[in-house]
Amino acid sequence: MKNMNPFWRGMLALLVFSLAGYGVGLGLDVLVDGKVNFSGPVPGVFALFFGFTAFFLGVFGYRGITRGLVWQVVGTLIGGLFVALIRLVMGLPAFGDFFFTEPSWVFGGLTGVLSFIVGVGVVDDWIKWARGLDTPEHHEEHYSDWRKYFGVSVDHKVIGVQYTVTALLLIAVGGLFALIFRTELAASKLQFLTDQTQLFGQNGPQLFNTLMSLHGMIMIVSILLGISGIINYVVPLLLGAQDMAFPRLNAFSYWIAVPAAVLLLSSLFLGGFDTGWTGYPPLSARAPVGMQMFFLGVFVAGWSSVLSALNVLVTVVRMRSVGMTAMKMPIFVWASVATSLIALTATQFIGLSFQLVMFQRLFGMGFFDAAKGGNPILFQHLFWFYSHPAVYVFVLPGLGVISELLPVFVRKPLFGYRWVAMSSLGIALVGFLVWAHHMFTSGMNEYLRVPFMYSTLLVAVPTGVKFFSWVATIWKGRISTPTPMLFALGAIVVFLLGGLTGPPNATVSTDLHLHDTYFIVGHFHDTIFGGFVFPFFAALYYWFPKATGRRMNETLGKIHFWLMTPSFLFLTLGMMYVGLIGMRRRIVDYDPALLIDGWHLALTVSAFLIAISVLVFFYNFFYSIKNGEKAEGNLWHSRSPEWQVPSPMPVHNYDRPFEVVGEPYDYGLNDAGYVKFIESAGGKHG
Amino acid sequence: MAHSQDKHSALGQGVTIFIYLAILTLLEYFVAVSFNATSLLVVMAVSKAALVMYYYMHIYKLGADDGADPHSYAYKTGTNRFGLWLFLLSDGFVFAGLLATRINLLGFTRPHQLSQILGLGVTAVLLISSFFMNRGETAMKYGDRKGFMLNTAITFLLGLGFFIGVIFVEWRLAAAEGLTASFGNPADGPMGAVFYIMTGMHAFHVLTGLIFLYVVWNNARKGVYTAEKHWGVEAAAVYWHFVDLVWIFFYPALYLIGTAV
Ligand code: HEM
Ligand SMILES: [Cu+2]
Repeated sequence: MKNMNPFWRGMLALLVFSLAGYGVGLGLDVLVDGKVNFSGPVPGVFALFFGFTAFFLGVFGYRGITRGLVWQVVGTLIGGLFVALIRLVMGLPAFGDFFFTEPSWVFGGLTGVLSFIVGVGVVDDWIKWARGLDTPEHHEEHYSDWRKYFGVSVDHKVIGVQYTVTALLLIAVGGLFALIFRTELAASKLQFLTDQTQLFGQNGPQLFNTLMSLHGMIMIVSILLGISGIINYVVPLLLGAQDMAFPRLNAFSYWIAVPAAVLLLSSLFLGGFDTGWTGYPPLSARAPVGMQMFFLGVFVAGWSSVLSALNVLVTVVRMRSVGMTAMKMPIFVWASVATSLIALTATQFIGLSFQLVMFQRLFGMGFFDAAKGGNPILFQHLFWFYSHPAVYVFVLPGLGVISELLPVFVRKPLFGYRWVAMSSLGIALVGFLVWAHHMFTSGMNEYLRVPFMYSTLLVAVPTGVKFFSWVATIWKGRISTPTPMLFALGAIVVFLLGGLTGPPNATVSTDLHLHDTYFIVGHFHDTIFGGFVFPFFAALYYWFPKATGRRMNETLGKIHFWLMTPSFLFLTLGMMYVGLIGMRRRIVDYDPALLIDGWHLALTVSAFLIAISVLVFFYNFFYSIKNGEKAEGNLWHSRSPEWQVPSPMPVHNYDRPFEVVGEPYDYGLNDAGYVKFIESAGGKHG
Repeated sequence: MAHSQDKHSALGQGVTIFIYLAILTLLEYFVAVSFNATSLLVVMAVSKAALVMYYYMHIYKLGADDGADPHSYAYKTGTNRFGLWLFLLSDGFVFAGLLATRINLLGFTRPHQLSQILGLGVTAVLLISSFFMNRGETAMKYGDRKGFMLNTAITFLLGLGFFIGVIFVEWRLAAAEGLTASFGNPADGPMGAVFYIMTGMHAFHVLTGLIFLYVVWNNARKGVYTAEKHWGVEAAAVYWHFVDLVWIFFYPALYLIGTAV
């Protein structure tokens, strides 16, 4: 075992221990229930937990993430047992349907997260500070090879990669869930997830609801992690900073997202839930325990997003290079600022709204319970006050990536730099004024409808500025189309479709028909793919060489693009069509009389095609890390500072500071460039 | 006035501001018991908040010139300060959301079960604690470690008093009067729910503030801070005043505004 490749050692451990865990779970189940249940939640949980912990143990040893996970489980058990004990003393039932009762699970979930944080070691330095001890600015990593990503590091580049890879993993999980429930939708009636299906204590339709709901939220979390990944990696490099302003906080933000994801996934095993990602009461006030794990997971992930937004804002304000005035910052930095402003503030509202439902369930506090004088509509206001601005959190960095990449690949200045920079802030601000457009049919006061309709239509103005700038930038440029550029162009087309389908939703008269149909599903997949997924891929293809010194394979990249784009366009346009015909969203079955069976089959096929294209991407990504073609220079002939030094980026970033001497996007003009490195007195040249 | 030069006038300024705040708080109370003047109460709360933010939390330091050397302690402190304020902004949204919830669910009513005397009492205790916190921070700024420790210890005890007053006295009294968070008791309405969540979330912040105070007190005992380098002290002080700031809005929202039903 000793001289085996650690990755394969981990895989072997995964296999052996997940089987062992399954057996243990099965045994426990038999002890408690007296009968064998192969598809129950307990063996599944044990198999997953044993397997993954063993995997990390095999790869990495008992430290970092392994220790975090073990501590999380132990912490959850201790917290849960503690509450069970209290309930016992109070004369209440100590154990419930899913071993623990709901209060035990919630409290245990919380103590589990705290234990993870301590176990993984990300608060070690803070504890020392609290005790009045000093800590070194930089830590030596335990490993310097790829295994360093499994432990706590305060290097923004490592954290950026950690975020990005975690986001990709979550995208894979969320995508898998989508494929499962999309398969059931391929034809009317129930064939795949039927009433007879039994898994984790849920039947087919229940499973459909859980997977559909989890798909939504897992994807949202993966988006939040994905944008943090790109921002973390790129922004300090663009600014010429050594690191983020608060490196430890940065690591903390990342590491609390991991137990949050575990909580989120655990809801699948605790009865699931059926509300969709929005978690509206009254339904969410009576869904199974899984609902609470969902709320708690999102709550913790929300803090991750808040703290990383804080870090970004401080970094941009305080750590820019000499000469980088506001109007000379790269446009992606502006986009990050706008996103972070929203994430910093609005996120608290979704956290609060979920917290209030949790308390309603735990203590019977009637915030949203109409029978007790509460107001369910209030939940929707609190929820959308975050969740509408949140859609701009998702897309602004992506739109920034488009603006950042276009000039490089058309060799022309970015058209209207100032307007583009300001439009990000404009979108962020107006985005706060439109939330109730999600509530036209909710029964809120009717006089609110028209103002929210107009404020929503107003968002089109700053968004239009961006489109205008993109088109004008491309106009008469010397266009080349390597993979990152293809994805940037694809993003523009897809985002345009998403943007155009917004106003019909925002117009009260049409929304009354469209609300809660597949038209909405088509709308937001277009906006989110155009604003996040396509630009995210563009960014990965573009900055991959910076991180690894190798580039991803172009042919595979083009296959990825040309397979995904048409399939995706067909998928969303088809969704909109069936929506107009009368297909409701979030439902396991539909009426054959709608005559949309054929459409649904085609939509399912296109969903699988997208999945295949993403598999091609995954292969390309992991294969190229070691075996890609070497690319250590300024591969894209960019003016940006990070490309003026060799790849992969050195550990402590630039060895000399730089000064901004020109405009960021003056491609094709004769000038001295954007930045100039400052030679230290008597320093070496080269 | 903001940039006092010597220790004596800096402490004197703290006293002046405290007197303003105390008068405003008493006025608030008497206005509320005498007339129904919600807008006046809002104006007074906002003025109190402005005084606390400017003089006790010295928000103006955000614009201070920290010099050009990014590795200096002053520059790093400026960075930390900005981060702390962003954190408070974010946290402020939690409390804004709670206020919005209260306005939506209770409107112009408030729970009649609360004890007005106790409410004014805990409010006064928290306000006085802010006064001592300010003295403590000022002492540290002038290198007076003993003065810092003494004043911070007083702040801590007052803060503890507030916490006990709310959680162990007011909560019990209110529950005894019939204001409950409704463990399945549908007659309660959202009144109790709103009261307990608002005071509970605030008390949670008081608790974290107390821990923070203990940490800096203990570090001062070990001699970690100097007149030039005491970011930890400043952070604890600003956070403590923030907790007071929230209560400046929560107190009228729960005890004074609207009719008691
Ligand atoms: C920035 C890109 C955008 C993103 C990421 C986005 C995302 C979303 C999402 C996720 C939903 C569904 C929420 C749910 O689950 O119920 C949604 C619905 C909606 N979107 Fe967008 N959207 C974007 C742009 C727009 C624009 C430009 C408009 C209008 C001008 C718009 C108007 C609406 C409306 C009115 C709804 C509610 C429809 C309903 O539920 O009846 N969106 N959007
Ligand atoms: Cu919206």
